[in-house]
Amino acid sequence: MKNNPTRRTVLKGGALAGAALLGPKPLWAASPPSARKTKHVILVAFAGGVRTRETLGTPDNVPNLKAMADEGVVYTRARTSNLGHFGAALSIFTGISEARGIRENARGPDPTLFEYVRKNGGYSASEVWMSTSGGAQQANYAYSTHVDYGPEYGANTLDGDGVFNQEFKSIVDSYGRPREMSKREAELLNKMRESIGGDTATGVNSAETARQVEKYILDELTRGTADLRGVNASDAKSLQVARNLTLIFKPKLLGVSLQNADVAHGSYNSYVEVIRRNDVGLGELWQVVKDDYELRESTAIIVLPEFGRDADLNARRGLDHGDGSDDLNYVSCVCWGPDFGRGKVVQQEVRTIDVCPTVCDLLGAKAKLARGSKLPKLFR
Amino acid sequence: MAGAIPLERALLGGLGALFLAAPAAAQGTADDDGLTESVPARVLEVGLLRAVYLDLLGRPPFLAERETWRGRQLADLLNELVDTREFWERWTDEQLYYFLLIDNFRPRSERVVAIPEDLRSERIGVKEAIHRIVLSSSFDQRNPGPDTFVTVVMEQLLGITVQKSPRDLEIGKKLYDGGSGNFLGHKGNSQADVVKISIDDKRFLRELIEREYQRLLRREPNGRDAARWASELKRDPYAFGDFVKNWILSPAYEERLAEKIVQPNRLYVRTMYVDLVDRLPDKEEERRMRGALDGLSDPGPLRSVLARLLLDSGTARIPPKGEIEDPTAWVAGLFERLLGRAVRPEELKSFVTAFHDDACSPSTVVYAIVSHPEYHAF
Repeated sequence: MKNNPTRRTVLKGGALAGAALLGPKPLWAASPPSARKTKHVILVAFAGGVRTRETLGTPDNVPNLKAMADEGVVYTRARTSNLGHFGAALSIFTGISEARGIRENARGPDPTLFEYVRKNGGYSASEVWMSTSGGAQQANYAYSTHVDYGPEYGANTLDGDGVFNQEFKSIVDSYGRPREMSKREAELLNKMRESIGGDTATGVNSAETARQVEKYILDELTRGTADLRGVNASDAKSLQVARNLTLIFKPKLLGVSLQNADVAHGSYNSYVEVIRRNDVGLGELWQVVKDDYELRESTAIIVLPEFGRDADLNARRGLDHGDGSDDLNYVSCVCWGPDFGRGKVVQQEVRTIDVCPTVCDLLGAKAKLARGSKLPKLFR
Repeated sequence: MAGAIPLERALLGGLGALFLAAPAAAQGTADDDGLTESVPARVLEVGLLRAVYLDLLGRPPFLAERETWRGRQLADLLNELVDTREFWERWTDEQLYYFLLIDNFRPRSERVVAIPEDLRSERIGVKEAIHRIVLSSSFDQRNPGPDTFVTVVMEQLLGITVQKSPRDLEIGKKLYDGGSGNFLGHKGNSQADVVKISIDDKRFLRELIEREYQRLLRREPNGRDAARWASELKRDPYAFGDFVKNWILSPAYEERLAEKIVQPNRLYVRTMYVDLVDRLPDKEEERRMRGALDGLSDPGPLRSVLARLLLDSGTARIPPKGEIEDPTAWVAGLFERLLGRAVRPEELKSFVTAFHDDACSPSTVVYAIVSHPEYHAF
C-alpha cells in the first residue's frame, strides 16, 4: 500500500516530457474568454475520499485518468479541507470552503457554479445538469438558497442510483407506461394548467424543459442503466447517466459526483476496486466526448476528489478520513480541454475551491461570491 | 393522554398541559382564575383539515375522515390525532429521515420498531426514542469510523460545528475507540458513552425542540420559549405531544398556512396515493418512489410521470365522464380536495370548458391539477 505519489511517479509517462516540448506560456498569454474554444465543461467530483496515492500515484489503477492527465494539466497539490463528504464536495461547486454537517440534508447558502453559469449565460435548465451518486443529499448541489440565485438558476440533477434502479423500474413496468396524449388533449391540459392561479414555488425547469426531462427519464429507464451492479453501482450509474446526458443534451455544464470510494472505511481493497471501475466509467465518458465531432473540439473535463484519506490503515484494514495528513488534505486535479496546456504538471499549491471560478470563467460567467481564484497556468 | 389533561401535568403548571401556561407564541385568553386559557375555537375548513393531516400524519385525510371532521373543532382533531400510533410512526419516520437512516440503513431492530407504540403508550418519551435510534446498529453502519460517528453525533444531536470544537471531537474519537476521556464535561470510555453523554447534554433537548418547531411551524422558535419547552420536556418526558397541539393551535401556525413550500418527496408520494387512490402506498411503493424523486433537484417532471402512471393504470378513483352529472360541482370539489381551497371563477370556467371537449377525459382534468406546482406545495 505504500505507493507514495512521488513527483517522479506523478510525472512518469511523459507528462513532464510533454510539458517540456510544449513549453509553458506565461500567464498573460492565456487566451481571453472570447477566443477560447471551450463551450462545454464536464466537472467530475471523483469523490468519496480518494488519495492521490491510489490514482496518479498508482497509474495502473487509473489508466484513463492518467491518459487525460498526459494530455492536459495536472495540479498535484490541490489543498482541501476535511469538511465531511457533503461539505467538501459542495465547496468544489461553490468555491467557498464551508463546514456542512455530514448528514446535513439541506441546500447551502452560497451560489453554485451552476447558478452562476445559468444566470450569466442565460442557459436553460436542459443545458446545465448534474449527475449524482449519493441520493437525496447530493441533490442539494444543484442550487443554493441565495436570494439572488436559487432554483430558477439551478442544475437539473439526476441521481442515477435513485432513479434508474430495478426497483423503480419495476414500478413503472407494473403500472405500464403512460398513454400518449392526443394533440388536442395536450392543448386542453395546458390551458387548464395555465389557468390555475394559486401560489407556486419557482422550480428549476420551465414547462418546456420539464417535458424534456420527463421524456428523458422514461427513455432512460429502458436503456439498461437500471441494470448496473457491483461495488461501484451508484457511481457507475452516475457516470452512465452523465454519458447519456452528454449524448442527448450536450450540456453546457455537466457536474458529475461520485462517492462509492468511501467503502474504504471498511475495506482498502474494495476502495481500490471502486477507483479502478470508476476510472473505466470516466474513460467511457471521455470517449463519448472524443467521438462527437462538436464536443471533442469544445469540451473541457476537470476531475478531482473532494478530499483524500488518512495516511495509514485503521484497525479494520480500511482507511478513514480524519488524521489531518497531507494524504487527506491534498488531492490531484486533472484538467483536459481544447484551451488547456498539454502534459503540464503544476506543483504550485492551489485549492479545490479554485475550480468553481475557473469553470465559470471558461463559460463566460463570474463566480461573484466564490473565494477561490482561477487555476493558474491552466491555458496553453 | 388524548383529550383530558393529566392532573399531574396540570399541577406542574408547564406546557405539558394543553391549555395551561400557553407559550408566548400560542396565546389565548386568560380566564379569571388565572390558571386556564381558552384558545379561540377554530373550525376545520378544507384547507386547515388537509394541512393538519399533512403535518401530523404525513398524508391528507381519507375520504371518510374528511367527511367526519369537516366543520368540527381543530382542538378535537388534535386530541385525537396526537394519541394515535400513526402520529408517532410519522414522527419516528421524520427522525430517521433527519439522520438519513433510510432505505438500506433503516433500523429494523425490535427496539427501534417498537418506538411508535412505546411513545404512544408513554412507555418512553422522545428523548429515549432518539437514544434508541442513535444506539442502533444502522446508525453505526451509516456513520462508520470514529471521525464520522462522533462528528455526526455532535452535529445532529447537539448542533455543534465540529470544526469549531476540534478538541471535543478528538476526545469523542478516543472514547469511541475504548479510551477514557472527559467528553463534553463527562467521563466516558466507550462508543455508547459518546451517545449517552450527548443525549444527556442540555443542548440536546433544546436542539430537538427547535428542529421540531421549525419542521411544523417553518420558523425558528422564540429563544425563551425554546428554553422553557426544553426544560419542561426534561421534567416531563411525555410532554412533546402536547407541545405539538399547542403549536398547531397557535397564531404562528395560521401564519405558516399562508406560506406554502414545496412538499418533501416522502410526503408527496403519500399525498398522491391518498388523493388518487384513497389509500396509502405500501412501504415498498413509497420507498421506491421517494428514492427516485429524491434523486432529482427538481422532482416536478418525475412527479408528473408518477401521477400519470397512477391515473393511466386505471387504479385511480375517477368516475367515468358519463357519470359526472354536474361538471361544475365536480371540478369545484376537486379543487377543494386536492388544493385545499375554493376554485376561482376563471379556473372554473377554463376547466369546465375543457371538460366538455370530447378530447378531454376526467383523468385529464385531475392530471392538470396534480401536475401543477401548486399541488406540489403544502
